[in-house]
Amino acid sequence: MGSLNEIVKQQQQSLTKPEENQFEEVVQLVGFIVGEEEFAVPILSIQEIIKPIEWTKVPFTPDYVLGVFNLRGNVLPLIDLRIKFGVPANNIDENTRFIVMKIKNEDVAFIIDRLTSALRIQKKNILPPPETYSNEDEIIEGVGRMEDGRIITILKVDNLIRREEIVPNSE
Amino acid sequence: MDEIQELLEDFLIEAFEMIEEMDQDLVELENSPDDLDLLNKIFRVAHTIKGSGSFLNFDKLTRLTHHMEAVLDKARKGELTITPEIMDIILESVDAMKGILEYIRDNGDDSAPDIDIEPIVAKLDAIVNGENKSKEEGSSEKQKNEKPTKIGNINLDEITLENADEIDLDSLEPEELDAVLEHLVELRNKNEGPKKTGNINLDDITLENADNIDLDSLSPEEADAVLDHLVNLRNQQPAQPNKDSQEEKKEEPKNEEKEEKKEESKQITPAKKQELSNEQKKKEVKKTISSIAEQTIRVDVKRLDQLMNLIGELVLAKNRLIKIYNDVEERYEGEKFLEELNQVVSSISIVTTDLQIAVMKTRMLPIGKVFNKFPRLVRDLSRELGKKVKLIIEGEDTELDKSIIEEIGDPLVHMIRNSVDHGIEPPEERKKAGKPEEGTVWLRAYNEGNMIVIEIKDDGKGMDPELLKKKAIEKGIITESEAANMSDKEAFMLIFKPGFSTASKVTSVSGRGVGMDVVKTNIEKLNGIIEVDSIPGQGTTFKLKIPLTLAIIQALLVASQEDLFAVPLSNVIETVRIVEEDIYTIEGKSVLKLREEVLPLVNMADVFEIEKVLQPEKYLYVVILGLGATKIGLIVDRFIGQEEIVIKSLGEFLKGIPGIAGATIRGDGRVTLIVDVGSLMRLAKETHNKKVVTESLNEAKKRKEKPEDYTVMLVDDSAMDRKIMRQALEELGVNLIEAKDGVEALQLLKSNDVDAMLIDIEMPRMDGYTLAQEIRKYNKYRKLPLIAVTSRTTKADRVRGVEVGMNEYITKPYTAEYLQNVVRRNLGL
Repeated sequence: MGSLNEIVKQQQQSLTKPEENQFEEVVQLVGFIVGEEEFAVPILSIQEIIKPIEWTKVPFTPDYVLGVFNLRGNVLPLIDLRIKFGVPANNIDENTRFIVMKIKNEDVAFIIDRLTSALRIQKKNILPPPETYSNEDEIIEGVGRMEDGRIITILKVDNLIRREEIVPNSE
Repeated sequence: MDEIQELLEDFLIEAFEMIEEMDQDLVELENSPDDLDLLNKIFRVAHTIKGSGSFLNFDKLTRLTHHMEAVLDKARKGELTITPEIMDIILESVDAMKGILEYIRDNGDDSAPDIDIEPIVAKLDAIVNGENKSKEEGSSEKQKNEKPTKIGNINLDEITLENADEIDLDSLEPEELDAVLEHLVELRNKNEGPKKTGNINLDDITLENADNIDLDSLSPEEADAVLDHLVNLRNQQPAQPNKDSQEEKKEEPKNEEKEEKKEESKQITPAKKQELSNEQKKKEVKKTISSIAEQTIRVDVKRLDQLMNLIGELVLAKNRLIKIYNDVEERYEGEKFLEELNQVVSSISIVTTDLQIAVMKTRMLPIGKVFNKFPRLVRDLSRELGKKVKLIIEGEDTELDKSIIEEIGDPLVHMIRNSVDHGIEPPEERKKAGKPEEGTVWLRAYNEGNMIVIEIKDDGKGMDPELLKKKAIEKGIITESEAANMSDKEAFMLIFKPGFSTASKVTSVSGRGVGMDVVKTNIEKLNGIIEVDSIPGQGTTFKLKIPLTLAIIQALLVASQEDLFAVPLSNVIETVRIVEEDIYTIEGKSVLKLREEVLPLVNMADVFEIEKVLQPEKYLYVVILGLGATKIGLIVDRFIGQEEIVIKSLGEFLKGIPGIAGATIRGDGRVTLIVDVGSLMRLAKETHNKKVVTESLNEAKKRKEKPEDYTVMLVDDSAMDRKIMRQALEELGVNLIEAKDGVEALQLLKSNDVDAMLIDIEMPRMDGYTLAQEIRKYNKYRKLPLIAVTSRTTKADRVRGVEVGMNEYITKPYTAEYLQNVVRRNLGL
């Protein structure tokens, strides 16, 4: 939970930063690491972040669908973004988290390797994804250039999973 | 406006119920045409509908019921015997009534342009006038159509309500007068309907019920009209019996209402008596309705559904509580508070179960609701087919969940049709076979455990399994070799195959090979099972077994390799333990011979493409699944037990995965998938065609013969102790790997194929007991030999070792020979 506390602290700090231009449009993001790369999603799309719990495999699904698990009485699908992005899956360790996000009114959980921080980025600093990226399924919303020079890939939450990819022959 | 709407809704509910009842009563009446009570009952129903219909201004409906009522009244008085021909027409008008009512329900008015009541009305009138004894329908219709237009010198079509004043009634002949009056009444009914002011139908108000009128709620004009009407009524009363005053009064067009009364009294029946008894009956009906209303309330089904969902959650919490109690019981054995906890847990679990049953019951409806329409169906069918069939219904009080009641109707219609059409023979044939001319179809419902059984039985010609097989081969549904291996019961099931039709001639009723196929699909949707039994020459019995409810179900939990699945218990016919030798392979397909039956056999791991990690064991566990008419054997790796589970959806993204109906949350909080038996059967069929079970079982079986094929893991924190073990075991020739504590051992276990483990008890990070416990959590390590090697020698230590799942307990120091023997024995060398 340490990292979550940090995020909250950073968020508070950034909120109290006086030099921020109030009129600039600012996007708030949560950053995390999957494989080697840092990604971010809008903070409002996140329902909650939990520590890993046991899940149940579901047959006939793509390998990035790890299965389903019980979150307070609801059955949620669990997606491994590491497999989805084609990076080797690390073992689950103390930094691994499930991020629960709302996609098309359904809660879906994603495994990530580590949370980094809450980010505030001005909209003008978000650039469209470079053409060299393979972005066929429109997973990437854009690329954020942070003030410290870091480059962060911002994900388009709604496109992270699609039903037709998971259950192809559904009637 | 709301009040009217409410009234309308009540009217429709009541009318539909009454008409259904009437349908049944009419069929019964046909069998006992002299039953006066029955006739009276039917007459009353028709009359009530007419009364309420006219109150709500449904002229078309009123007109139809009015004419029907006339026929019934004549029969009631013994002036008319109900012949099957007359019954056909009455039933036809009942159908038209239903049609109009449905139109009212959907559209709010009774214009129902698709339903033309005129021909029916004409036929009914013809019966009343005694013309339709056996004449062709068409001719009587024509007569009727021509008749009213011209009577004597009067052309009725020219007379309208507006010019009625101009007619010189005195100059008319008696028949002419009758005709004119009838025509006028008809016109009035058509144009205006009953006399109405605002929302009040004056026709319904009589002196007797005047007290019931709430004058305060009326508008001034309405109140005036009502009062006028009452005054009129009172003035008329003494005058009414006086028949002579007829003509004069009829000249006053305002008194049309009275005209009608006299008209009816002259033309058909003493209508006045009817009208009076009508009022009485209305009061009776009102009384019964109000007394029922005190005991029942109507509840929106959505609320019940919500209640059911909440109970589902409660059942899950209860399961969880029981699980926790069991854990606590183990840990704090003998503690005082356990007793109290036990009491609370049991009482909660009893109350939850009762609550669940109680809510389930609120959703239950008697199956009679569905059965009610069958007497009519059988009657119509037998007339159409020229057969004599008696339908005997039993157990119509048996209750079923509302959602199931709604689904079961269509399949039952098909099955009953099938029995009458294909089962029962024509009378001559029956006579020749020495059976009574009249065939019998039984429709029976009863409870059997958690299922309801609906039985459709006939004493007809039965089915010949050989004939069915021949037919199926001709149609290419099965191959000859399949047919040869088929039992009689399996042959009967062929009739549920798409494209199979048993009747050599196709009738309008059945025989298109669609019906039974649909039955099967519908029953499968409800997780039901169909059983067929037939004896040639003596009849056929169908049994539909359907679970009582859909949301909370009993399930059998099974494990296939490492994965757990819940199989709806209603589809589990039995579970058996077999050995590999019980499996036969016929033409590359595996089957299990179970008593007389030969069942297709598949491995659940193959169906769901689960990776095989378990070594096959001597015994195989098989779940025999039944759905609709099919049975199949499913090999699993372990039976966990029976549990009550709550069905939850997998959500938008995962729903509709083949073979999976949903998920449930178990007592330990884990998710277990629920098998969709229908879909699983289809998958299993594919698997059955391409995978031989005996081969699949051996996929995980790696032949290990020599000691070099085996790996033994040594777990000890002391390098010295590991060395002693290594020296002792190297002589055996097995492979050895070492771990210095429990954590490392677990990691190594996952990445290596280990056949046995020697475990020290006292180790840093994770001790031997905990390690054994962790290992036993995995299904695939359930049988892995774990040998404790320790200097702790007390009895308590040994007991603990057994508890956590150690197979053997060796105390230090030991001889090399002893260790070798133990390892060899555990590896089976």
